[in-house]
Amino acid sequence: MTGAAARPPRAAAPYEVDLALRVNGITRRLRVDTRVTLLDALRDVLGMTGTKKGCDQGACGACTVLLDGRRVVSCLVLAAACEGRDVTTIEGLAHDDGTPHPVQQAFIRHDGFQCGYCTPGQIMSAVSLLAEGRGGSDAEIREFMSGNLCRCGAYPNIVAAIREVAKAGDDDAGV
Amino acid sequence: MTSAMNEPRPAGVLIGQGLDRLDGPLKVTGAAPYPSDFDLPGMAYASLVRSTIASGRISRIDRGPAEAAPGVLAVVTHENAPKLGRGPKTILGAAPPPPLRDDRILHHGQFVAVVVAETAEQAAEAARLVQPEYDAADPVLDLADPRAKVRDDPWHVDMRRGNLDAGLAAADVTFQATYTTPENTNNPLGLFATVAAWEGDTLTVHDSTQWPYNTRGALARSFGVPERGVRVLAPFVGGGFGSGLRAWPHVILAALAARIIERPVKLVLTRPQMFTAVGHRPNTVQNVRLGATRDGRLLAIEHTSDSPVAMEDDNLEPITLGTSTAYACPNLITRDRQIRLNVPCPGSMRAPGEAQGNFALESALDELSYDLGMDPVRLRLVNESTVHPQTGLPWSSRAMRECYLQGAERFGWSLRSPEPRSMRDGDWLVGYGMAGASFLHYQAKCQARASIDRDGTAYVRSAGTDIGTGTYTVMTQLAAETLGLRTDRVRLGLGDTDLPMAPQAGGSGLTGALGGAVHAACVRLVHDFLRLVRNDPESPLRGCDLEDITLHDGRIQRTDDPTRGETYAGILARHGLEELTADGDSSPPRGDMIALVGSMVTSRLGRFGRAAVRATRAVAPAGACGAKFVEVRVDPDLGLLRVTRIVSVIDGGRILNEKTARSQITGAVVGGIGMAMFEETITDAGTGRIANATFGDYLIAVNADIPEMDVHFVGEPDPANPIGTKGVGEIGLVGIAPAIANAVYHATGRRVRSLPITIDRLL
Ligand code: FES
Ligand code: FES
Repeated sequence: MTGAAARPPRAAAPYEVDLALRVNGITRRLRVDTRVTLLDALRDVLGMTGTKKGCDQGACGACTVLLDGRRVVSCLVLAAACEGRDVTTIEGLAHDDGTPHPVQQAFIRHDGFQCGYCTPGQIMSAVSLLAEGRGGSDAEIREFMSGNLCRCGAYPNIVAAIREVAKAGDDDAGV
Repeated sequence: MTSAMNEPRPAGVLIGQGLDRLDGPLKVTGAAPYPSDFDLPGMAYASLVRSTIASGRISRIDRGPAEAAPGVLAVVTHENAPKLGRGPKTILGAAPPPPLRDDRILHHGQFVAVVVAETAEQAAEAARLVQPEYDAADPVLDLADPRAKVRDDPWHVDMRRGNLDAGLAAADVTFQATYTTPENTNNPLGLFATVAAWEGDTLTVHDSTQWPYNTRGALARSFGVPERGVRVLAPFVGGGFGSGLRAWPHVILAALAARIIERPVKLVLTRPQMFTAVGHRPNTVQNVRLGATRDGRLLAIEHTSDSPVAMEDDNLEPITLGTSTAYACPNLITRDRQIRLNVPCPGSMRAPGEAQGNFALESALDELSYDLGMDPVRLRLVNESTVHPQTGLPWSSRAMRECYLQGAERFGWSLRSPEPRSMRDGDWLVGYGMAGASFLHYQAKCQARASIDRDGTAYVRSAGTDIGTGTYTVMTQLAAETLGLRTDRVRLGLGDTDLPMAPQAGGSGLTGALGGAVHAACVRLVHDFLRLVRNDPESPLRGCDLEDITLHDGRIQRTDDPTRGETYAGILARHGLEELTADGDSSPPRGDMIALVGSMVTSRLGRFGRAAVRATRAVAPAGACGAKFVEVRVDPDLGLLRVTRIVSVIDGGRILNEKTARSQITGAVVGGIGMAMFEETITDAGTGRIANATFGDYLIAVNADIPEMDVHFVGEPDPANPIGTKGVGEIGLVGIAPAIANAVYHATGRRVRSLPITIDRLL
């Protein structure tokens, strides 16, 4: 059986691709298997594990990130399709001075999570929802947050958190 | 921050407060490390192959194609796997059988190979190349299959009291019906993951477990290595709802893969694998018979249940046991049977047993209320028992009457017109329904350790996990209160078997057990500080005992003269100590065992048994209870069902944190709504394959399904537990499904005795 061997730099295998994308404003260059999703590239290649995998099938929303400012489920996006594009993840949401984003703060105040596993995805969706102007009513928030499953059932508190930020009309609520 | 030490229980400002979750900042920034987030140097990835038949044997399994695939490091099947031991028995029964032990297939989706490769993609690709051939047998998949082996009274907790037939004969009104509940799958959002790394015979594992000590024991036995060389870490887990209570085969396989390739290995289950590999709530077929007087007094209850279990595995899940203590009824029989099927093993899922049993009982009571022409709340009040019904022992505390009365008040139950189909709002039929709920008390032994450091901060730790319940937060509050520190001066360690032993986060039992141990450790620590200065001429606390002092912001001061005192840090410095550490432990109340054994004794010996049990003068720990009130709307033309309001009134004993406890209840109500309206794991009747094993096909409640909820706590600190809690993890779910079914009947006149209540059942 093969032991652990450090792999020297080498040419890309036929199933690999070199690409550059901007993650939270920083250009990252990586070589990935063409089958690697944006989600796995973030987590396994770049070591940014804030984005979560709950299904790998586009059905739970745990992997939600912003791609060129719009929310996507990153498990359904191939990394190879992200050349030159802008990705925002939960790690990039805080303001430059380190202050958490208003949605992050509201989630804490309203206890918008329990195990916390769906939370990065919920928060990315919430930030996007506000940017899309969809925070006008509870019904609207519920509807537009329904692609993000929370098995702990934190939904009422998630709605309360988003409602609060929407009401405050916070200028910082964008990305 | 100030607490008087002479009180038997912690009391004061911090406990109960709705403090924000202390792990919140980590969780909202993506920085909380879940097991699947760990990445170790040299780590390889494992992928699992599952059987495509439910019963039979593997006739041929060729490792060659997978071994030849790019990046593959090992392919392990039953043919080349070492013999593994079986984990230790727990309260839940035997450990799961060791994986890859032979060529037999006992359920569809059984793991038949593990493939390890340099990357996750390579492992997944190569796993597809392992294509076993089978000699398939005809699987036993149906509870009614005459070939199925039946286990009568599998846990020896079938209950009996009085004379059922006499009770039914004396009744003015009798009622009988059959109820069924489907299989549900826990589906915590966090895919279960194991990262395993060996160094010689020592093993470190990051694992999605609710019970690190159990996983440690199972790994040690599996590989025949000493327990102390195995460390299991689970500081954050992406939910569990019961599926993390056992050391499932994938955990063992991840460690096996790492042992074979002599490198760390990460294994993350896929969502479809989460349906076959980590337990699920078993389906049930239940029969309920009731007899009552005209004025609603229950004279007879009979409740029986059939539910499945895997061929060679265990699941502790009495469905009807809760019925024996739910109401004051003199004549009763409860009976459980487990049927062995070729299915993945069921296991605990939030409110195991009680979720299903309570659906049948509380639906039946609703039906009886119509037969009697009696209000369903009154029917329950009439039959509420002031003592533990099976033994006659007094309850430790049970505010069930308040739950009903305050629930009815908050909900506006008096506005209900009793006739079915009599309330409307435009095109929508409106229905009000309710149900009672109890959850048996459970507690296990637990240990904790507390230290105070030279800088005056505390470190409190135990191996228990926080699976999202708020354990970090409430234990910090409890420790801070007991030590007289601010919460930001207390650090909490959890989810690590290098820390003192703790039981599972399950059975609504961890808060009581761990809270008792944390409290004991903190009290002892203060005591040890006082001992240090007992004969210290320089200390203003010289000669003081616990009852002479109060604590304030890191300072011990004399109650008779608060100006005289000194800080923890000051005492340590003067005595040249870096820190002081104390251990504490907790045990289940004596009444727990007496109530359970006493119930069995009275079942067998009747009145004489009852007298003997009462002579113990024990108190029966009541566990949490509550009442659920639901409003639904049904569109009669389209069969659409909407839940529009839910009121839950809960006696959870002492509530340690209003905010996190409330979240426990609302979250469980969401689970209850899923159980009532959406969730059903569908097994193909011919092959035993689960046909809807994705989030696209297995529906759970989403945000738009959930109405505003009212949660209200009543009751008082429960004397059965040193910190007064009852545990609130499961009680929120119990009663939701029947309350919804009862509301649906009230709205439509249609009784649904089979969950989930989908559109087709309302058309
Ligand atoms: S992991 Fe991408 S939607 Fe579930
Ligand atoms: S907080 Fe656990 S899944 Fe949402």
